[in-house]
Amino acid sequence: MTATAAPRHLTRVDAINWNRLQDDKDLEVWNRLTANFWLPEKVPLSNDVSAWNTLTEQEQTLTIRVFTGLTLLDTIQGTIGAPTLIEDAVTPHEEAVFTNISFMESVHARSYSSIFSTLCATRDVDDAYRWSEESPHLQNKAELILNRYRMDDPLMRKVASVFLESFLFYSGFYLPMYWASRGKLTNTADLIRLIIRDEAVHGYYIGYKFQQALAKESAERQQEIKDATFDLLLELYDNEVHYTESLYDDVGLTEEVKAFLHYNANKALMNLGYEPLFPGATEEVNPAILAALSPGAEENHDFFSGSGSSYVIGRSERTEDEDWAF
Amino acid sequence: MLDDTVETTENTSSVELSRTTQTLDYHALNAMLNLYDNEGRLQLQADREASRQYFLQHVNQNTVFFHSLAEKLEYLVAKNYYEKGVLDQYDFAFIKSLFERAYAVKFRFQSFLGAFKYYTSYTLKTFDGRRYLERFEDRVCMVALTLAQGDETVAQQLMDEIIHGRFQPATPTFLNCGKKQRGELVSCFLLRIEDNMESIGRSINSALQLSKRGGGVAFLLSNIREAGAPIKHIENQSSGIIPIMKMLEDAFSYANQLGARQGAGAVYLNAHHPDILRFLDTKRENADEKIRIKTLSLGVVIPDITFELAKRNEPMYLFSPYDVESVYGKPFGDISVTEKYYEMVDDARIRKTKISARELFQTLAEVQFESGYPYVMFEDTVNRANPIAGRINMSNLCSEILQVNTPSDYEADLGYERIGEDISCNLGSLNIARTMDSSDFGATVETAIRGLTAVSEMSDIRSVPSISEANKHSHAIGLGQMNLHGYLAREHIHYGSEEGLDFTNLYFYTVTYHALRASNQLAIERGVAFAGFADSDYASGVYFDKYTEQTWGPRTARVRELFDKAGIHVPTQDDWRELKASVMAHGLFNRNLQAVPPTGSISYINHSTSSIHPVVSKIEIRKEGKLGRVYYPAPYLNDDNQEYYQDAYEIGPEAIIDTYAEATQHVDQGLSLTLFFRDTATTRDINRAQIYAWRRGIKTLYYVRLRQAALEGTEVEGCVSCTL
Repeated sequence: MTATAAPRHLTRVDAINWNRLQDDKDLEVWNRLTANFWLPEKVPLSNDVSAWNTLTEQEQTLTIRVFTGLTLLDTIQGTIGAPTLIEDAVTPHEEAVFTNISFMESVHARSYSSIFSTLCATRDVDDAYRWSEESPHLQNKAELILNRYRMDDPLMRKVASVFLESFLFYSGFYLPMYWASRGKLTNTADLIRLIIRDEAVHGYYIGYKFQQALAKESAERQQEIKDATFDLLLELYDNEVHYTESLYDDVGLTEEVKAFLHYNANKALMNLGYEPLFPGATEEVNPAILAALSPGAEENHDFFSGSGSSYVIGRSERTEDEDWAF
Repeated sequence: MLDDTVETTENTSSVELSRTTQTLDYHALNAMLNLYDNEGRLQLQADREASRQYFLQHVNQNTVFFHSLAEKLEYLVAKNYYEKGVLDQYDFAFIKSLFERAYAVKFRFQSFLGAFKYYTSYTLKTFDGRRYLERFEDRVCMVALTLAQGDETVAQQLMDEIIHGRFQPATPTFLNCGKKQRGELVSCFLLRIEDNMESIGRSINSALQLSKRGGGVAFLLSNIREAGAPIKHIENQSSGIIPIMKMLEDAFSYANQLGARQGAGAVYLNAHHPDILRFLDTKRENADEKIRIKTLSLGVVIPDITFELAKRNEPMYLFSPYDVESVYGKPFGDISVTEKYYEMVDDARIRKTKISARELFQTLAEVQFESGYPYVMFEDTVNRANPIAGRINMSNLCSEILQVNTPSDYEADLGYERIGEDISCNLGSLNIARTMDSSDFGATVETAIRGLTAVSEMSDIRSVPSISEANKHSHAIGLGQMNLHGYLAREHIHYGSEEGLDFTNLYFYTVTYHALRASNQLAIERGVAFAGFADSDYASGVYFDKYTEQTWGPRTARVRELFDKAGIHVPTQDDWRELKASVMAHGLFNRNLQAVPPTGSISYINHSTSSIHPVVSKIEIRKEGKLGRVYYPAPYLNDDNQEYYQDAYEIGPEAIIDTYAEATQHVDQGLSLTLFFRDTATTRDINRAQIYAWRRGIKTLYYVRLRQAALEGTEVEGCVSCTL
């Protein structure tokens, strides 16, 4: 497939002016992402050490592998995916948003190492990294995405990116949500929920930009992209099923994770503006996992419980004389 | 009785659930609360089913079975689970009848979280932690037997109040009573730190000792010399307060209460301490690892002068505690900054730095946005309202304890040269709805006061002598309240409405009368008043002026009707005059009586809304270390009365402050007041709310909470907590 009508790239370097917006969505998302800024150091992961020790060896190995898989995906997205999208940006503000996305993906990748260094022995982690290099399904997944990123088609790059953000991450996110619903590794789950909070916005925004670009294309080209999108999804889904089985069969969670994959595949398609592929997927997902996903910041906790995933960086505003009129 | 081990929730036969629901485990059923059904209705029945399945799938299968109460108690005493001394105070026939009466009440948990929380965190388990040895009724009886100290009537009354959900002791009391292997019954400790190495060392030891025994610990940092202050007259030597905070934080995370919960601590600092900005920066999102404070809670003590300076947009001076202490011969924390401000500004011996007062408030709000901290204590408001002689310079981990303290002097080996007074407080809360339903309102309050006093009498914290000493003399307790919003909603009154405010005022007014009456009664029975009574506003009678010189009564017809319907007598001026005379003649047994805590865990077990706050959500998402993520429906909520469950973010800070102001005028200590904002708020909105709270006579502010709505397009479909 070739890009017949590549969008206008930014050719000159113009000083970015946030007071002249071409697309209000850029500012809205920028504000959201910057308000959501966080670093893994804020989560008291060490409170999970005792819960970690209650996991069986098999469960520990699974958990490390899942996080290693996530690290790989975040690395791709931070160093290749998001920078590629910067090049495709059609407004300077979009570029700026993608620089933030790119950086936060690196923060995510960094976070898994924080989890590892807090909970696990170095040898176990090294084993897991070796496993990630040797896992055919994980490598295949990476290859499928990287392949799209290397193509000269900005639309397919966005599609691949949305699939990564909104679909592929979630076979991994499932596990910490599952542990947390059982009262285990709850601080780790807080950290993962911060990541989910970011990924939800990333997937949504890239999908939005995709739909904007797609609307400008010919009907024929639109159909071509749609076909390619579903082809890619099916290919990724097929691989993801094998990946899931290889990870979760031993603990008997494969069916539940697959139901969750269906749900997220639909979400990814929705972000791209397409109809869902798996009907009724929402009902099949374990409610404990679904309810745990909500990206809002409404969770209630106290000082005995950990930091939660609800605080944001606020907007500062000076008080005026009228505020002090007493 | 005890072989009645199969618990079933009421109304389950009427619950129609689809096939898929029946196969779900209780966690999944509980989580359905956060998701609307296909017709957009709340799935409250799923939570009832979750609670039922929790008993069927888990609790009943894991409860140790005994043939009789005698067999059970013998076993538990022999195996060192129960404290023999508690049971030996009574005839077995009485104990048996007490348990029988408790079981006859047919107590049932009203929510999954209530049951789950109780069995996870409170009930007695086998030493390997695998099986349950108590049901709720057993715990209630053991608490009543422990606190009654051999008095059958009191034991019966306490059991009755607790099992009917009118009175609920705080976690340390409810968790520990009657157990052989246990922590302390007291909730909360407040300690001073003086500006010397012995006191600092002693405070680390106290943090360890008190965390090991349970409860939260707060420390006062205001007296500590600032970073760069001289040591032994050599300049630039002191490292200031941050390293002390680091040590305290480590001490708290090291010690925990038999694994029941992590130690937790708070530190308070005066706004005019030179390290104030460094103190706040420890909670910044991008703070360096060396100075970042993760789990320690922060509080700032703000005097009136700071507001006055900010009003005039003037700079505020920060004063070196080292110099202040050498000039005045008193620690910085014991000086009223408002009173001495201009004197200290003009005194060349006190080194000072200058910052903008308004910028301090803005920084405060910025840090609150990022972390929820610091708490705020309005120092002069607190001291004006304090009926006890002495000075209040700090609060505690939940910002509701406000008591006077005095410094200790130490020997070089950390022994005491002079034992000062530090603060402890044991808490328990009344469920407002159930108390209004009580057949004898005054007796309910009195029994609660007696239960709390028993905790004070039974506590002797020997590891920290300054606490032990002060407790012996003061018998300070904190009677709290919860379920205000639940009650108002049940009665179809909006939180923060005129009727809501009227009720809050009248309820607290009536409780205060009975609390004082009960404490006076105790003083008469024991023949002794708390130490320092003679110097208090109670002894002079000044305290009673506001009750004897004006009439308090319902301002609205609806509230008059509620009190009439409940048959509750509203105390008259004559009642107060009589009480005043008796108090002035015989004294009060307890130096402090009321404090309204935030009530986390116990309000779930008790099926209440927290404290006197509005609900945070119709369906609350609760995260706790031991529980994971659990969903909690607001008490009395159904599909028809949802309009009365506006949440705290919708209600906004002003209505909450107004409600607290009504209660505050009657409460001798403090009330934990959280401010709730949507993410559209700016630091200016937070500052405005703080100014408003200060003007309305609020004593302390607890957390600042923010709710960020999910960005449009990223919500989880059909999720209750996403639709705002």
